[in-house]
Amino acid sequence: MKRIALKPLSPTAKRRLIVTVLVLIGLTVAYKVLYPLAFESYVGKTNAPLTYASSTALTKTEFEALAQELSTNARQRKAAAIVDTDQEPFARQVKIEMLMNTESFIRDTEPSHIKYFREAGIHRYEGPQTCLHCHATIQVTHGDGTVKNVDTLGDIVNSVHFKFQSESGGFSTYGYDGRQVNSGPHKIPVGKINRACGIPGSFTWTGWAALVASRPEHGEGEVTMRSEGCGQCHIGGNYQPATEKMMPIGDVPSEAKEGIDCLICHSTDYDMNERHVIQDDKGLRWNQDRSLRAALTVGPISSETCLRCHQHNMGGDAYLHNEAARSLGHINQRILHRGAKRGNPFSPHDDTHAASGIQCTDCHVPEGHKIPRGRKGVDLVANDIPTKDVTCESCHTQAPHNQSEHKALLNGHIARLACETCHIKELEAENVVLRDWVHPTWDSDEGLFEPTDIYRSGKPGKGFTFLWFNGNGTFLANALGNNPNGSDTYNPLMQQVARIDDPEMIAAVRSKATELKQQYPEIDVDAYVRMATDPLSQLSPEMLAKREAMIQNNLRAVMSQGESRIYPFKLFNAMMFEDMSNQGPFGAMILPFDYASYYETGDTPASVKKAIADPIVQRMYQEPFKLYMMDEFMSYFGITEGWKTVYPLVDGRLENVEPHWMRQMGTLMVNHGIQGKGRDCIECHSPDGIMNFRQLGYSPERVAELEDIDIIENLKEQPDSAAAQ
Amino acid sequence: MNALYLYSGWVRAWHWLNALLFLVLILSGASMHFAGAGWLLNFEIARPIHNVAGILVTIGWIGFVIGNLVTDNGRHYRVRLRGFFQRLFSQMRYYGYGIFQNEPHPFHPSAEMKLNTLQQLSYLGVMYLLMPVLILSGWAFLFSIYLPETLFGLGSVWVVAMTHLTVAYFLALFVLVHLYIITTGETLTSNLRAMITGWHREPDLETQPRSETQG
Amino acid sequence: MTNLALSGALLLTLIAVATPAASGSPATENKSCLRCHAMATLAYRDPGTGDIVDLAVNPHALSHSVHGEIDCIDCHEGDFGRYPHPADAANETLSCVGCHEKDDTKDDTKDDTKDNIARFKSIDAEYAESVHATSDSAEAEGFSCHSCHDPHGFRASQVGEEIAAIVRDDNQVCLSCHEKVRDPLSDPHAWLPNREKHWNAVRCLDCHTPLSDNGKTVSHQVLKAEDSNRDCVNCHSRESSLLNRLYQYRSEEDLATKGWLNKAVFNDAYVVGMSRNATLDLLGLIVTGLTLLVLAAHGFGRYKAYQRTKGKPE
Repeated sequence: MKRIALKPLSPTAKRRLIVTVLVLIGLTVAYKVLYPLAFESYVGKTNAPLTYASSTALTKTEFEALAQELSTNARQRKAAAIVDTDQEPFARQVKIEMLMNTESFIRDTEPSHIKYFREAGIHRYEGPQTCLHCHATIQVTHGDGTVKNVDTLGDIVNSVHFKFQSESGGFSTYGYDGRQVNSGPHKIPVGKINRACGIPGSFTWTGWAALVASRPEHGEGEVTMRSEGCGQCHIGGNYQPATEKMMPIGDVPSEAKEGIDCLICHSTDYDMNERHVIQDDKGLRWNQDRSLRAALTVGPISSETCLRCHQHNMGGDAYLHNEAARSLGHINQRILHRGAKRGNPFSPHDDTHAASGIQCTDCHVPEGHKIPRGRKGVDLVANDIPTKDVTCESCHTQAPHNQSEHKALLNGHIARLACETCHIKELEAENVVLRDWVHPTWDSDEGLFEPTDIYRSGKPGKGFTFLWFNGNGTFLANALGNNPNGSDTYNPLMQQVARIDDPEMIAAVRSKATELKQQYPEIDVDAYVRMATDPLSQLSPEMLAKREAMIQNNLRAVMSQGESRIYPFKLFNAMMFEDMSNQGPFGAMILPFDYASYYETGDTPASVKKAIADPIVQRMYQEPFKLYMMDEFMSYFGITEGWKTVYPLVDGRLENVEPHWMRQMGTLMVNHGIQGKGRDCIECHSPDGIMNFRQLGYSPERVAELEDIDIIENLKEQPDSAAAQ
Repeated sequence: MNALYLYSGWVRAWHWLNALLFLVLILSGASMHFAGAGWLLNFEIARPIHNVAGILVTIGWIGFVIGNLVTDNGRHYRVRLRGFFQRLFSQMRYYGYGIFQNEPHPFHPSAEMKLNTLQQLSYLGVMYLLMPVLILSGWAFLFSIYLPETLFGLGSVWVVAMTHLTVAYFLALFVLVHLYIITTGETLTSNLRAMITGWHREPDLETQPRSETQG
Repeated sequence: MTNLALSGALLLTLIAVATPAASGSPATENKSCLRCHAMATLAYRDPGTGDIVDLAVNPHALSHSVHGEIDCIDCHEGDFGRYPHPADAANETLSCVGCHEKDDTKDDTKDDTKDNIARFKSIDAEYAESVHATSDSAEAEGFSCHSCHDPHGFRASQVGEEIAAIVRDDNQVCLSCHEKVRDPLSDPHAWLPNREKHWNAVRCLDCHTPLSDNGKTVSHQVLKAEDSNRDCVNCHSRESSLLNRLYQYRSEEDLATKGWLNKAVFNDAYVVGMSRNATLDLLGLIVTGLTLLVLAAHGFGRYKAYQRTKGKPE
């Protein structure tokens, strides 16, 4: 065996080694320092160190006083819940105080972080770094039972709650081209971050944080500043969403990570009044509650903490029991969003699970900071754990009905109906179905121009409809599925979600259009009603033919996958400005509004111009963006010719931009607001029932059978059936 | 008398272990293949024996390959093209004709070249062609649950089985011939002895006896 | 050869019987029953036991089952005419024997499946010996034909069906109760070499019933674990009992097309010891024999040459 001796390097080798090391160092510096700077200037977004007024240092005495107060409050609350109420108030008070000062009660009730902070000498909450002081890593239990230690910050930065998008597979969304989103080799980041949508009227880059000067009538001309924007509900505290995460390389800068609002989810005493827009020399961003009070009351995640943001998209801001909507801000109060996105609240008043103390995370069982939204998803919202189920059956089994005499028959319905179909009877009346962003209305109380909700309803057949659903959805949120009989007549994209037939709805739209005409004389009421209720009328005959062909060729197979059941779906459509250069059979690229100018002036074209002047929208209309994601995006969108980089703003004028309704209504899943008692048989099984069996793809004979009320009459005749209930 | 140290310790150890395993494998393999024929081993006994022996043969084969890579034993398997056919032919002529005429061996092993061309070729074929196929198909049997359902349109286990069986027949044949050929040395047992002691002895070579130590 | 002829005859009968069932719709009488009972999730949770009682009947399985041609009310004679059914209707006794009678009058007891109606005579006798009947375990209580044979879906395996599918479907019946068998921690099959392969390739019954004669269906005498067949050679040999049990379902057609390659490539299966390729074996033995002969002759020649040198003076 030969031994290889280490020889001193020759001068050339030495030189080569030094050059290599220098190049590597250079590349690292470029990646870490120059790339972020270049990226920031390319997309026109800012990152800077963040400070918050509520993050103040307390002296030891102040800390102890606060600890005392929080401990007393917690014990007071818990004791009051235990001591019976049916007694002399004074006697009760004495008992509560006795209980509060019991040694074991103090030990078990005092917010745990008081002790931790005291021992660690923490007298100021400084954001994530304070949390990471102890929680640098967390144990995550995965669905298959494996336990892993993960880096806490990395876990949250890569969660959908932070990124609002995902560029991995696992989407149950299919493009109108028939391809499952991100199932192929070319994966693009998709999710809320880049999904323009007609409900908020803008998207995260152009609508992250806005300060709006309102002029409420009762203020007699005085200007009140209001806060608005997507960032109010999102945990990043910086000047923009996590745009950096959309690139295959690079990371969110550490300043931005320091802006993560841990406490909005983890604290029980978080003050939502701190959640408003603030302006500093770098721009606008959302404030947070970083007080020691909030930090000391960190506790287990509960429905209350989730609902600070999520009641907004369930019950809505105008929902009576939306707690967060009562704390709109100490200053710059948040603008309430009227017209609910779903109108199905999760609260003890309107949901049987909430009433029985079930917490959000009981069904949406998290794995670390990744939270599942279930395998079925009709919209293009990213899912942290797309393989994890969130279902009724996981608790209720396949035979959930035990009360009724007809329990077997009720259970029998589960093969075809989702639980929600019977157990969500109505949505909130605030549920918005048609929203006109192009013709805003002046709200004199708020002193703002607001988008006009042409139609709101929570009634079945109006605010929501019933569709077959196998868990798949289209790129523009249309539920996909098919009648298990293999029907080829079920075609919601040409029927249920593409037109409004209900005469009451049409009349309501007409009356609203007539009302709008007062303000906007150019409105032709008949044309307006037709566009809103028959959005397909906006398509040319060629486009219409192409649409039908795409449905048959690309979507039929996706509709027939798996097992479909009938689910309720909230309906929604919006009139917005569209970039007609990028129009397809299902809609065109909608253009965002700039919130401040929209709310203040109601000059909608001006507001669009301002929004699309945003650097990132300009980038969107350039070649790199086209190649990186927009062509793929358009293909999913049903536009086969690729993304046209014809920037719609030329010399301050909008070019080839028209106001339109999307060519069909979006359908949003509703899964909360569950009622213990379901529908009566007759609500569906009658000739004028809430379900249109014919449109659901049943044969005429089967429709007659399903609408036959004799069988229900028979059920009622049973004398003992009422007693058995 | 001339003596050459041809077979180092590891080669001999490997050879005899391999020989033993071959016999065990042939016996246990046949016992399974011809199960129920009323002779040979019990199926239940033959199976674990065959599996264990097969695994050991695999380890041995890997050891052999590595051994040939790291020691200079490997050079004996390097085919020298110069005069190849002439050497091959003279060796064949010897076995087919000369041996009956009591002609002298055409080939004299040396430290540089211990195998005659015919030997070299057959060992190459056996060790680097048949053995890998046999070992791979054997392991495919062991993990047949992970095989795809079909291979080339046939049941994959069937393909594996037929491959294994065919190669096994070839190797059994090789063993027979090999056993016979070792008797064709200077004396009936001189080749056998060489593989036991490591020393190859020839009576009338002019060079001095020399010994080599392996490094 | 008899085996082939027999299965051929069986095939013909089956085709004759199966055709009307496959083409005809389920009896019209069934429609009103199936209006509810076709709901796949028609079930309730028994308040007594907490178990889910399944009331669903798969109309497709029913119409393709051995009972596909008969009406619901032929068996269910209770007062099911209206919904809700009267409470006592649940206690009905099923009238199986009306069809599956023990035909003592004729001397055709050798063939239980005459007229394609399983008569219970020999089945009864076999079942009486079965571990399902003799066990005094609490789990075996209430065991009946229906525990294995779903009357709404049962159909006998047929010649030409894919063997793997037969194995899967048959074993599913056993596994629906014996789920612990597949528990890796308490598996009584740990001794079985290549366990997974066996599970996918043979039916539980192939080992857990007594060996039966050629052409007969597998016995209903399911054996206790300790009495079950553990002798590998029963299958792993040329006279494999699998040939007239599981592989009786292999189709003539398959045999005909694949026979030239290997008579034992039944549905592409290979069974060690059973699937012997006669040609290959013969070829192997002939070549081996020839080699031995050549070597012997060579040796003899050398011996002669050796003798010549001895005879020659040096």
